[in-house]
Amino acid sequence: MRILLAEDEKDLSRALTAILEHSKYAVDAVYDGQAAVECAAENAYDAMILDIMMPKLDGVSALKQIRAAGNYTPALFLTAKAEIDDRIAGLDAGADDYLTKPFAMGELLARIRSMTRRAGTYTVKKLKIGSVALDTAEQELSCENSIRLASKETKLMEYFMTNFGKALSTDEIFSHVWADDPQADHKIVFMYISFLRSKIRAVNGDIQISGNEGETYTLRSVADGDVN
Amino acid sequence: MDGIYGEYKPVLEKIKDDIQCRIEEYTQKEYETSGIKIYEHLIARVKSEESMSEKCRRKNLPETPESALKKLHDSIGLRIVCSFIEDIYTNIKYIKSFPNCKVISEKDYIKHAKPNGYRSYHMILEMQYPYTDINGNTPGNFYVEIQLRTIAMDSWAALEHKLKYKKNIANQELIIAELKRCADEMASCDISMQTIRDLITE
Repeated sequence: MRILLAEDEKDLSRALTAILEHSKYAVDAVYDGQAAVECAAENAYDAMILDIMMPKLDGVSALKQIRAAGNYTPALFLTAKAEIDDRIAGLDAGADDYLTKPFAMGELLARIRSMTRRAGTYTVKKLKIGSVALDTAEQELSCENSIRLASKETKLMEYFMTNFGKALSTDEIFSHVWADDPQADHKIVFMYISFLRSKIRAVNGDIQISGNEGETYTLRSVADGDVN
Repeated sequence: MDGIYGEYKPVLEKIKDDIQCRIEEYTQKEYETSGIKIYEHLIARVKSEESMSEKCRRKNLPETPESALKKLHDSIGLRIVCSFIEDIYTNIKYIKSFPNCKVISEKDYIKHAKPNGYRSYHMILEMQYPYTDINGNTPGNFYVEIQLRTIAMDSWAALEHKLKYKKNIANQELIIAELKRCADEMASCDISMQTIRDLITE
C-alpha cells in the first residue's frame, strides 16, 4: 500500500516515514499543500496523511482541491489540540479521520488500517469519465450500450476511473483489488484488464486502458484516430 | 387455393436449401483450416404461408405474392447461432463473399444493442438465381434475411419473444428490467469467453 504524507515539520516527517515504511507501506513525503495536490494528481494512493498548517497551501485547502478532482482516497488530518475549528473544516473538506498532536504511533497505524479497510464504502457510487459511466452498486458499465461487470471487474474499473490518467503498476493494482484473496496470482491482473478492455469496447466507450502485460496501465481518453 | 407465395413456393424452398448448403460448405472449409466450428447450429426456413399472411394483414398489405416477396424481405430466413462473438463476424465475412449476392441492409445490434437489451446481427441479402422473380425477370432477385447471434443471445431472444406475445403478465415492468439486466450479464459472459479464447490461442 502507498501513502502520501504531507507534513512540513521535517523531523516529524522523517520519523513518520520510518515507522510507516517499517509497517510495509510505501511513503511519498511532501512538505507543503501544493506538493500534496500535485502528488495526488499524479499517483494512486491508498491513504493520505495531511498536516493542517503547511506553507504554500494549507492541508484543508489542499484536500478540497484533491476531492474536487474526483479523488476519494481515504485521508487523515494531523491537527494541534487547540485547532477545533480546523478539525471541523478538515472533516467537512472530505477528510475521513483526524488525529491530534501529539499522538501515539500505534494509534496512527490503527487508524490507517481502519481507513483503508473502509475505503470501498466511502467512494461515490456513480463515476463518469468521458462518456463512460460506472455504477458501482449495480456493477453496470454503460456508454452507448450497458453491460454488467463481475465484482472484481467493477473494483478494478473503479480503481482506474478514480485514478484516470495515472500509471498504475501491476503490483499496485493487485494489492488494491485482490488484497482480500490469498489464492490470487499476479497474472490475474492482465486477464481482468483484458476483460475490461473488451467490455469498454462493447459499450462503445471513448476511453481505453493502455499498457502491456506485467507493466503499468493507464486509463485514458481515446484520441481521435486511435484504433481502439 | 393458392397460398400467399403462389407459384413461387418451390423456388423459395430451393433457394433456402442452396444458402444452407453454402453456409455448411464454408463452415467445413473454415473448420479444416482453423479447427473452429464457426456456427453451433443453423436454422433455415421459408416463413409459413399463415405467418406471412398474418404479417401482411398486420402491416396493411394485400395478401399477395407481391407483398410477400417484394415488400417484405423475410420469406426466406436463416438464423446462424454461434458459440463465440468473433465467429459471428467470421460468418458475416463469408456471407458477404457469396457470388451474386448484394447486402441491402445490415444492422449490428451487438455493437449497438437495442434499449431492451436485444443483441443480434441482422442482414438482408438480395440474391440472384436462375429462376423467374416477382418482377418477371430471369435470372431473378430474391430477398433473404439472415440473423446471427451467440447461444446466449439466442436463448435471451427466445425468452423475450415469449414475453412479447403474452398478454397480461404480472409485474411486467419488473420483468422487463430484469430481462435487460440478464441481457447485459450474458453479453458480459460472451465477451469474457471470447477474451479467454483469445488469451488461450494468442
